[in-house]
Amino acid sequence: MRILLLALVSLYLPIEPVLSQSVPVKVERAWIQAVPSVSDATAAYMKITNLSANPLKLTGASSPIATRVEPMITTRKEHSGKEVIGMQSVAELIIPAGNSLELKPGGDHLMVMGLLAHPNEGDSVKLTVRFAPGDQKLDLEIPVFKEEPK
Amino acid sequence: MSETISDHQRDVKPIVSSAGTNRRLLITAVALSLSLLVSFLFTRYSAYRTVQENFYGQALVPAKEAFDFNLVDQNGKPFRLSQLRGKAVLFCFGFTHCPNVCPTTLSDLAKVNRSLPEKDRRKVQVLFVSVDPERDQPDVMKKYVPYFDESFIGLTGTEAQIAETAKAYGAFYEIARDSGQDPDNYSVNHSAFTYLITPSGKWKLIYNFDQLGDSKRMIQDIQQVLAES
Repeated sequence: MRILLLALVSLYLPIEPVLSQSVPVKVERAWIQAVPSVSDATAAYMKITNLSANPLKLTGASSPIATRVEPMITTRKEHSGKEVIGMQSVAELIIPAGNSLELKPGGDHLMVMGLLAHPNEGDSVKLTVRFAPGDQKLDLEIPVFKEEPK
Repeated sequence: MSETISDHQRDVKPIVSSAGTNRRLLITAVALSLSLLVSFLFTRYSAYRTVQENFYGQALVPAKEAFDFNLVDQNGKPFRLSQLRGKAVLFCFGFTHCPNVCPTTLSDLAKVNRSLPEKDRRKVQVLFVSVDPERDQPDVMKKYVPYFDESFIGLTGTEAQIAETAKAYGAFYEIARDSGQDPDNYSVNHSAFTYLITPSGKWKLIYNFDQLGDSKRMIQDIQQVLAES
């Protein structure tokens, strides 16, 4: 039973990193946070490695399940001696040449806003990530998990 | 002659002296072993104490009397923290429109809760307190919080109740509106600590957002708190 479950889970886990044909990147450990039906937003996470010799900018994304998908940074500010976590929409997230951008819980992420459908554990969601320079598009199919796959 | 006396004295003295040394040695030995025993017990005791206080979370020393908040649960019923006496309580502040930090916090806590042995899990309650009472009405909380773990309870309340509770636990939150944004579509910046209250109602530990992912160490703390009570 456990093996069967593992096999099922592994079907959804991108074991092989996605190597894009169009954009010089490698995408690993991509996943979307499953959220209850009452939520209107969630987040997409992944590790994107820039395989080119030039810096790349992640400028946005789109998905059929949301009205908007925006790059966000998580801010951690001191407020009366306490760490306050906030989010801020940014125009772009830079991926230096040969380096990686880690989108992860509590850090930079793609905020998936205005949910039109609710991603449940086991679902797979289409996400098109846009890069600059130019308008390079990368189509991904991302698994949905309730908890960060480790 | 004087030499003989001296020799004699030299002969005698050691014998007398030896008897004295033996007694002294015995006293010294007893004193030493007593002090060894004391220091051994002390070391053992303090080592024990060190282990006791060695928490993964940041410990409040001494633990504080936990503020007995008065909120509204996900079924619209009044809810006080003191209702949970006898259970270890883990709670955090957040809001249901939060896409990143709150689902991560709740799914981390769900994993901790699920990984606890059944006998301990029965003595643990996780609460999620909204810092966005305007949008997070009880029915919203009911659809949101138990999604992560059906035993979790979502709490909301009036702005004053929430503010009072947040203040008591040193939590901070503020509404963050982007200019020109839909007024109903805002974010809430908030401190993202998780608090552990002991079964006797003492606020004992604080966790940073980043610590919650280590279920193993979270469970060790919970079990230690349960064992101490």
